[in-house]
Amino acid sequence: MNAAPQSARRIASANNAFFVDTVCFSCRNRLSQQSRRHAATAAAVSDPPPATSPQASSRAAAPIIAKGPRKAYRLMAAPVLSRPPLLTRDLNSFEKAFYLYQKRLNERLAMPFSRYFYYNKGTPADPEWKRKLQARKTPSRDIGIYDAYGNEGWNDEVLVGDRTGERESVVEALIRDAEGKSIVEESEKDQGAVTAGDAQLGEGQRRETTKIEVERPSSRETEADRSGDVKSLNRKLDRTLYLLVKNHEGRWRFPEDRVYGRENLHQAAERILIQSCGINMNTWLVGNHPIGHHAHHYPSQKPIVSKISANALVGTSKESEKEEFGEKLFFMKARIMAGQPDLGSNAYGLQEWAWLAKEEVDGRVGRSYWASVKNMLVER
Amino acid sequence: MLPSTLRPQCHACALRQQIRHASLLRRPKRPYSFTQLITLSDGSTFTHRTTSPQPIYRSTKDTKNSALWNPSSQKLLNIEEDEAGRLKRFRRRFGRGFDAEAMEQGEEAGEGAETVDQAQQDESLLDLIAGYGQAAEKTGEAAGVQDEAKKSGKGKGGQK
Repeated sequence: MNAAPQSARRIASANNAFFVDTVCFSCRNRLSQQSRRHAATAAAVSDPPPATSPQASSRAAAPIIAKGPRKAYRLMAAPVLSRPPLLTRDLNSFEKAFYLYQKRLNERLAMPFSRYFYYNKGTPADPEWKRKLQARKTPSRDIGIYDAYGNEGWNDEVLVGDRTGERESVVEALIRDAEGKSIVEESEKDQGAVTAGDAQLGEGQRRETTKIEVERPSSRETEADRSGDVKSLNRKLDRTLYLLVKNHEGRWRFPEDRVYGRENLHQAAERILIQSCGINMNTWLVGNHPIGHHAHHYPSQKPIVSKISANALVGTSKESEKEEFGEKLFFMKARIMAGQPDLGSNAYGLQEWAWLAKEEVDGRVGRSYWASVKNMLVER
Repeated sequence: MLPSTLRPQCHACALRQQIRHASLLRRPKRPYSFTQLITLSDGSTFTHRTTSPQPIYRSTKDTKNSALWNPSSQKLLNIEEDEAGRLKRFRRRFGRGFDAEAMEQGEEAGEGAETVDQAQQDESLLDLIAGYGQAAEKTGEAAGVQDEAKKSGKGKGGQK
């Protein structure tokens, strides 16, 4: 078929931007060598047309035969098991200031709150609402004390160091409001002035009958954070955690093994996860494509003859011997939903495991391994 | 030079001129919104913007206490405990027509000839339901009409 070599040679011309972007370096070299070789033979046979014209060289050339790899490498797979973040990240100071300002601005831009739609006159909720509103001058609870329509409506910016826009103070204000207290602590003196309505009828007075205690949400920093427990999945809830294991040589890596028989990378990664970490984990292997790779060439170009034994879990694997020049390891993305690794009966002699964030992985793995791995790990 | 608004426009030609006439926009009337703290059934919280004036919303049924979203949870499994044998006695007397729908599915699986092997466990929930419905139809155990739609894989028991 003449179409394939023709298009290949068209792509192979060195000034083609598509060629440079999509074809790898070694293939590019091979293709350009072949095209130069064919152009040279065409020149030797007939009057030489210019080497860059694909049509001329294709007429006299033989079709390009793709050659297999000249060197065999050990094919390995490694599941990169990750727990995605469970909490959203903290806001930086600019975002907090921006959101607070936008909420205060909204007071002046949105329609006023239609209070009698929600709190009917004569119901107990009505004076409750009135009392709380008096204290903070605005229906919202997360913007501090701000009256958009009063004389001080122009004063919508807070001073430096003000804690009104912080997430913790917003949540605290909401919970205090649910408990029936005003959003900020008031001094005894002000409380007298705040009461509204007829004092004789008891309107506006807060009777201390029952104290409502609303449970505060737990802190974003957990016990595992404080103690630095790397085996816990509750640590660093706003970051992605990756499972690293310490192999029999003492190196920290993702759990890895050879790909046996006719299994594909997805199947190999699932098997490796079970063989190394046990079955008590609810995991999900995402997709059939690897997310990264790591190539290790054995030193001094000498191949190692490795004896490959059949793996019990892979039906199509056979005993064989192969001369290998190095290792090519492909990483497969996986997610954990529940469970923990159990290295009790692992088949690879793994000693230890840990759940680590990206910078902690950097601290534990080797330099060339980190160079292959760092771009596939998530910052957050 | 004609201003851009008065330049003649050719409708047949592919090039189109921008039309930048000023137009009157009504001021949008947006309702007043609050920040609310939502508490899910497992205690996790988050804030969101809403028109509701309630400061806290406590959700009783959500993804955190749903069996579909927590397949590994033992607490949410729908396991029947027949401690005194009373349920078995009831069924002996009155049949299975009063069973909850979930129980009916479970029983069909138990009575069906096929064993649930590893491959079947990976199937989606809907495939499982469809599979059981078809199996029951074949063996003639499911009384009543069964739709062809996948949703009604549950047999209708003894009820008519």
